[in-house]
Amino acid sequence: MAEKFKLNDHERDTLIFNRRMIVAGVFIFLLISALIAWMVYLQVYRYDYFAARSDGNRLHSQYVAPNRGLIYDRNGVLLADNRPIFNLTVVRETASNLDVSLDLLRSVIDLSDDDIEQYRARQSRRAVPHTSVPLRYQLSEEEMANIAVNQHLLPGIAVEAQLVRHYPFRERASHAIGYVSEINKDEMTAMDADTAANYRGTHQIGKTGIEKTYESLLHGQVGYETVEKNNRGQVMRVLDRTDPIPGRDIVLHMDSRLQAAAEKALGDKRGAVVAIDPATGGVLAMVSKPGYDPNLFVTGISRAQLADLNRSGHTPLFNRAIASRVPGSTIKPFIGLAGLYHETITPETVISDPGYFRLQGRTRPYYDWTWWVDKSGHGAIDLRRAIYQSCNTYFYQLAVELGIEKIHDYLLTFGFGENHAIDIPEASGGIVPSEAWKMENRGEIWYPGETPYEGIGNGIFQATTLQMAAAAAAIANHGVLRQPRMLRGTIGSDGEETDVIFPDNAASQQLLPSQEQIELVRNAMVDVVNKPYDSEHRRHEGSAYPVLRASGEPLLYPMGGKSGTAQVVQFQVDSAGNRDDGEVAEQFRTHAMFIAFDASEHSRIAVAVFVENGGGGGTVAFPVARAVLDAYLVPEQDTFTEVSVVHNDH
Amino acid sequence: MATRSMNRQMNPGFYKLSGRAGANKRSLKIDAPLMLSLFCLAVYGLMVLFSASGENITDVERQAAAIVVAFVVMIGIAQFEVDFFRRGALLMYVGGLGVLIITLLFGSEVNGATAWLDLPGLPSFQPSELEKFLVPMMLASYMSNRSLPPRFKDLLVCAVIILLPSALILLQNDTGTALMVAMSGIFTVLLAGISWRIVFSGAALLIMASPAWYIFLAKAHQKNRILTFFDPYRDPTGAGYNIIQSQIAIGSGGVQGKGWLNGAQSQLDFIPESNTDFILAVLAEEFGLLGVLFLVTLYLAVLARGFYIALTAQDSFGRLLAGSIILTFFFYAFVNMAMVSGLMPVVGLPLPLVSKGGTSIVTLLIGFGILMSIHTHKRVLPR
Repeated sequence: MAEKFKLNDHERDTLIFNRRMIVAGVFIFLLISALIAWMVYLQVYRYDYFAARSDGNRLHSQYVAPNRGLIYDRNGVLLADNRPIFNLTVVRETASNLDVSLDLLRSVIDLSDDDIEQYRARQSRRAVPHTSVPLRYQLSEEEMANIAVNQHLLPGIAVEAQLVRHYPFRERASHAIGYVSEINKDEMTAMDADTAANYRGTHQIGKTGIEKTYESLLHGQVGYETVEKNNRGQVMRVLDRTDPIPGRDIVLHMDSRLQAAAEKALGDKRGAVVAIDPATGGVLAMVSKPGYDPNLFVTGISRAQLADLNRSGHTPLFNRAIASRVPGSTIKPFIGLAGLYHETITPETVISDPGYFRLQGRTRPYYDWTWWVDKSGHGAIDLRRAIYQSCNTYFYQLAVELGIEKIHDYLLTFGFGENHAIDIPEASGGIVPSEAWKMENRGEIWYPGETPYEGIGNGIFQATTLQMAAAAAAIANHGVLRQPRMLRGTIGSDGEETDVIFPDNAASQQLLPSQEQIELVRNAMVDVVNKPYDSEHRRHEGSAYPVLRASGEPLLYPMGGKSGTAQVVQFQVDSAGNRDDGEVAEQFRTHAMFIAFDASEHSRIAVAVFVENGGGGGTVAFPVARAVLDAYLVPEQDTFTEVSVVHNDH
Repeated sequence: MATRSMNRQMNPGFYKLSGRAGANKRSLKIDAPLMLSLFCLAVYGLMVLFSASGENITDVERQAAAIVVAFVVMIGIAQFEVDFFRRGALLMYVGGLGVLIITLLFGSEVNGATAWLDLPGLPSFQPSELEKFLVPMMLASYMSNRSLPPRFKDLLVCAVIILLPSALILLQNDTGTALMVAMSGIFTVLLAGISWRIVFSGAALLIMASPAWYIFLAKAHQKNRILTFFDPYRDPTGAGYNIIQSQIAIGSGGVQGKGWLNGAQSQLDFIPESNTDFILAVLAEEFGLLGVLFLVTLYLAVLARGFYIALTAQDSFGRLLAGSIILTFFFYAFVNMAMVSGLMPVVGLPLPLVSKGGTSIVTLLIGFGILMSIHTHKRVLPR
């Protein structure tokens, strides 16, 4: 019985099991069908989507910054080039634990809080995701080795080579060339879409000087690269590349040797020197002292370095060459020309100078500078002597007779009152006052008592050293004014220089006097430097001649010039007309000015010198101007051979 | 037809399939179709692994060595009588529990689970893996002495048999394996003919209890996995990263795939765990839908042979054990493929015979060794 039951049971067992296996088989069939359907959905129906996602994962567009154009002087000397540095960079998306990495980095390389702060600022203005942001520039070899050793602990952190701007001469011509520095937020928001796209790979932008003015020429066209990256952001392959178009190399009118000579001539004095080629308006030299090392700015100046720069209080970053000042007596030749043009005077007009000038019906005297020496005045004096002797009384009277409006209109023709430089947009325009100007800017009417001061350049009129140089160049160029310009040409891919033709604006030159009148003033300016002491006539020597004679070195070329001394504060004058000269603090001392030019027929150079709180124009500024002309006009000067490239190793 | 007396003689000559006339009694007891399918799977797996491990030949060599060992072990196990397993089931089950306790006490921790045992002179292994056979074996052994379907009292015993090792494995903090061990037991009970009423009410109970589990019992990472399953993009670079990248790899493979060693997702390391749990993503990316279908076909071949073995097994023990082993195998493969493709929440399960990992392959083939033993050691029974 038991046996039979078991056998039956056995068959029942098999049946039950087989049924269950069939159910399992059906289940499995359903599950597999679902899985295959899902796979078909993923791999066929949504293939395009996932294929695009896969490419999006691995393919990245990188921007390749173009190499910035180089800047040469007129003799082919490199003023700004590019050199490779190695930077520590961070890709934020792959830097999984940045704070830990930063702590580690701090222990292996020199990484200050300032660096990290600057990095965070850069990170916040980065436009393209998954791109690297510099954390520290210019790693040393040792630092790179230390980073390499710890690389596995530093996800998202890499050492990247980059070409950055380098100014081999450091301080030389720093104000004229300017510098590049990191693009800031304002500059980024100011860019239009195309420009912004072009700067995707660029870290630095021209901030001042030539670097800023010719940013669009120098920058070039960004390149693109499609690269394959793995999930740690490492570039595995470059799949496609559009090379960047490097920026244009440019050539300046500047003469690096002359620039060096001018800087040497100015020495440690604060001030400015501008030298211009009268025939072209090309700026041969533009000095502003004190200077600074523009290399400091390229990769971001630290607060400490900036504080260091400003410690002197003498604003080294400020370009004194393009800042406007009261010009002192250097304005007199132009007032004289205005008188001749308007026929207020002729070359033969002679006035009598008692040592001071009085407005008709007024008692207040306007003193000549001779008043402080003796009280005899210049006596009978014509325009030529009024210029080379720098007679105030003559120009007080001329200014009054011309009237402020005629002075205003005439000075405009010499490029005063507006920035007429073609490619120095940062330059001040200066001030050429008029009745309307005064009402508009000071809300006052023009007082007749102000006009005499305009005749001697100690009134409201202001001009930049650049404008004074350009105006001097116009006289040297027989009256034809050339707009000052920095750029001479660009270098094409063939290595040949193409000159840049700027449209010259001759319209403002309509008030030019005749050639005879120009030659009179030109000659009077030659007398300023060259007219020796004349025993028969008191005060018939050129105002700068004593300084020239004292130097013991005769001029080797014809030189014209005009000194100027600009008052910083009004001197106290007592009731007897005596000036309290006493001790004058340095910052209240007069500014010394001198304009000068090569007085040969085809003048090659004109110069304006400004020495801040320097003292007298003749004694302080004239030697500087002369040294500059010597350096340019006299071959075999020591300054000519002193061209040494200083390598920046900081 | 053989007689009962012949059977009782225990003549080795009868220990073979009646249809295989002329087979040598000393011949190796193996099942050629199963062997062949498994071998194809293993070779296919090695190819994928070579690509998935970044063309690391050492990894492939170690895996190949493990496969050779696993095949040797499988063939070795296939030589045992089925009776050996039936009689030894209780002993092995109890021994298995003992080893689990030892592991719990002295095991080493890997990925948060104390599931590995380091014995001197042996590669470290995971005793819980073996429970996938020990539990069905014990259950089959228990039920083969009773008539099917199991009565309620038997079911209670079965529940205890399943729950004891599962609980120990849970204590090891290895939820995935615990679930698989429980599943292997449940498969056995299901095949034994447990009433559908119990099955459905149990399933309903589980479904109703799951919200409570989610709210009160589930750990943060478990909740996270479930949330990520429903919306991988809630944390695309964190919890959802694996499944997103894996789906991108699978989808971008298309019908034909990107070609062996050419999967961008795989070769550029976008797929985490690409040579272990997520190796299917590499396969699907490089060999496309066709490669996936080929893999599924190979699995189905193994499955079909397993079904055949289970259906033709001679007694309840063999049937239940073979059925359970083959269902567990399928379940493994399916769960892995479903999770990697985003059909299921992520659980840490390797793709059988393809994923890197020697232990997994050896234990898997131990199971197939048992299957072969069931198939090749048949007594001729009276009808």
